Order: sequence, then C-alpha cells, then structure tokens
Amino acid sequence: MSNKVLTIKDLKVKIGDKEILKGLNLELEEGKVHVIMGPNGAGKSTLSKTIVGHYDVEVTGGDITYKGNSIIEAEPEDRALEGIFMSFQHPVEIPGVNNTYFLRTAVNARRTHLGQEELNAAEFLKKMRVLIEELGMKNELISRSLNEGFSGGEKKRNEILQMMMLEPEVIILDEIDSGLDIDALRDVSEGINKMKDGKRSFLVITHYSRILDYIKPDYIHVLKDGQIVDTAGPELVEQLEKEGYAQYEEK
Amino acid sequence: MEKIEEAVARYAEDFALFDDPNDKLEYIFDLGKKHTTLPEELKNDSTFIVGCASPAWLTGECKDGRLILNGEGTSEMAKGMIMLLMDIFSNKTAKEILAFNPEDLSKMGIVELLSPVRQQSLQSFLEKVYKYAKECDS
Repeated sequence: MSNKVLTIKDLKVKIGDKEILKGLNLELEEGKVHVIMGPNGAGKSTLSKTIVGHYDVEVTGGDITYKGNSIIEAEPEDRALEGIFMSFQHPVEIPGVNNTYFLRTAVNARRTHLGQEELNAAEFLKKMRVLIEELGMKNELISRSLNEGFSGGEKKRNEILQMMMLEPEVIILDEIDSGLDIDALRDVSEGINKMKDGKRSFLVITHYSRILDYIKPDYIHVLKDGQIVDTAGPELVEQLEKEGYAQYEEK
Repeated sequence: MEKIEEAVARYAEDFALFDDPNDKLEYIFDLGKKHTTLPEELKNDSTFIVGCASPAWLTGECKDGRLILNGEGTSEMAKGMIMLLMDIFSNKTAKEILAFNPEDLSKMGIVELLSPVRQQSLQSFLEKVYKYAKECDS
C-alpha cells in the first residue's frame, strides 16, 4: 500500500456565509499526480486555499493531516516551510519587491527550517539561471519587481520557477494552465514533470484536459458541489470530455 | 587541492553572475555570514591588521609549509572580504602564496569596485598574509 502524504477528512469550509466544501474526503499518495476536475463553482479553488491556509476560508469541520499531523490550525507560512506549495491561479503583483530577493528569502527560509545551509547569492543565482533558461523565461524578469507588468504566461512561469527553487513535497497547481499559449503550456509542463521524483505529490486543478497531454495523471477526482463524487484512473478524462459532469447529477 | 589561481577564477565566475555592482558587493556581505570570531587572546598587536578601515585581526599558523589563516573583522565588508581572502589563501603552501602576484586578485572584477579606503584595507590584509607566508617559508 502506498503512503498517504496528505489526508483530507470530512472537510467543511465556508467562505463568508456560504458553505463551499461539504464534507470532502481526499487522500494524496506519495509520488502521485492527482487531478481535480469539476464544474465551475464546485469548490476547487476553495480546496486548494484551504490546504495552504488562506485567510479567506473558514473551516467549520473535518481535518487535514500532512505526514500524519493535523495542519488545520497551522499558519500558512508553517505549512509552506513544511513543504506544501501552491501556485496561484492569479499570481499577485508586488511592486517594490524584487523577484530574486523575494525568492531567495523564501528558499533560504525553507533551507534553514530543514537544517540546511543557506544558499549564498552566487549559489542561488547559478541555480536559478539554469531553471530560467529551462523555463524559457527572459533574464530581465528576475531583477524586476515580483510579477509586476508580467504577462499571464510570464506569471505562470514565475510560479513554476518558485516551485522548482523551493523544492516542495506537496505541490498544488491551481489552474496553472489557464491563459497559457501552447509554448508556455509546454515549458510549464516540462518544469512540473522535472519535479516528479517518485516522492513529491501533485494536486492539479484544471478545467481542461489539454495539460494532461503533458502531465500524466495517476488519479482523476471529480469535485462537484463541495464533495469528491468520483475517483478513477486517467481514463476518466476522456469520458468527462465526452459527457461532461451531467452524469453526476443523480449521484 | 585548489590552486590560488583556480580559487580566484572561481570567484571571478561568481562575481560575473551579477550585472549590478551593488549585487557584487552584497555577495561579499553574504560570504561574511559564515564569518567566525577569534579567541580574545589571539586578538593582539601582532595579529592586528594595521591600516584596515575597521578593526581586524589575522592569525597565521605554519603547518608543514602550509599557511593556515584565521581572521576576524568588525564591519560587514571586512567580514566578507576576510572570508573571501581566507578561502583563497588559507591552507596553501607558503611557496605558492609567495609565487602568486596579488595584482591578479583584480581578475575577480571587484577590487575596482571597492572604495579607496577599502582598497587600502585589502592592501593591509595582503601585507599581513605575505608577511606570514615569508615567515612560514624561512
């Protein structure tokens, strides 16, 4: 039996007055790619926000355990230090915060947390330059303010750069494919595939199956009306593409 | 074992990574984060680096013809430069140090970025290193 790295049990979450997740159950296996698909408003983004501890969400029931410990009360930064990473659907622009300094501070905070030596400026830059090239990013982007004036594709590539530098253990990708042209989608997917090491787990939230041509999923979960209503292998994608989510109406 | 020239080339490569001169200087500060202090009894007139912009000390121990350097600086810049220079010169044979032309340190691409006062500090540091090297070689 494979290891469960993240377990979500009977999770109930409100945003404002509205109950979004209604007793959601999900287990992420070590080294596997889990994909969440579902109609608009089903709670996909709320789920990812809840795992990382976003301030928007109010957990009213259930639990999330990561490596056997409950993280439901943990601060977002502590979850990140422990190795949970999320790429934002809409990455924020932070004028005045240099992209390189931002990322180096984050990387060194995690390294310190793991008892590793901090990377000095040269070590960090060498590592980052290689990844920037692999991701097809323009060099000048790294010395600009975080995401400020970046195109949609550049922002998503920057999210992937952060992921690759931080070397997290659970990676949540919230619609990483939205707004990407074919080249960007390929570069981003290649970056994600490079992170697959048989240990890291992925939770890929998407509306479209096209990213799954590049990233091979192990499990497909259907999220509808705040609950996981179906879990199957990659073959489910084709069926969903044909039949949509109507088949779950009676379930 | 890395030669002095090779260490200088390694740092030249590192400094070339940064386009902005300020980032090069910041890298020196970064190197200073690994700086350690000397025991109080080793901080005396004979180890004091005369002419350094901020108080700094350097000890030189000769072991089988090799010079082992240990230093302490009091400013961020001095701490970084001491770490950098010790990485280049420490644990090298006295003969290798004496055969190396200190002018070649300019290949790192940072010496010209230092203020005149800091260039003087570098000079004072090097004088101390070469003095220890000569003693070790005799």
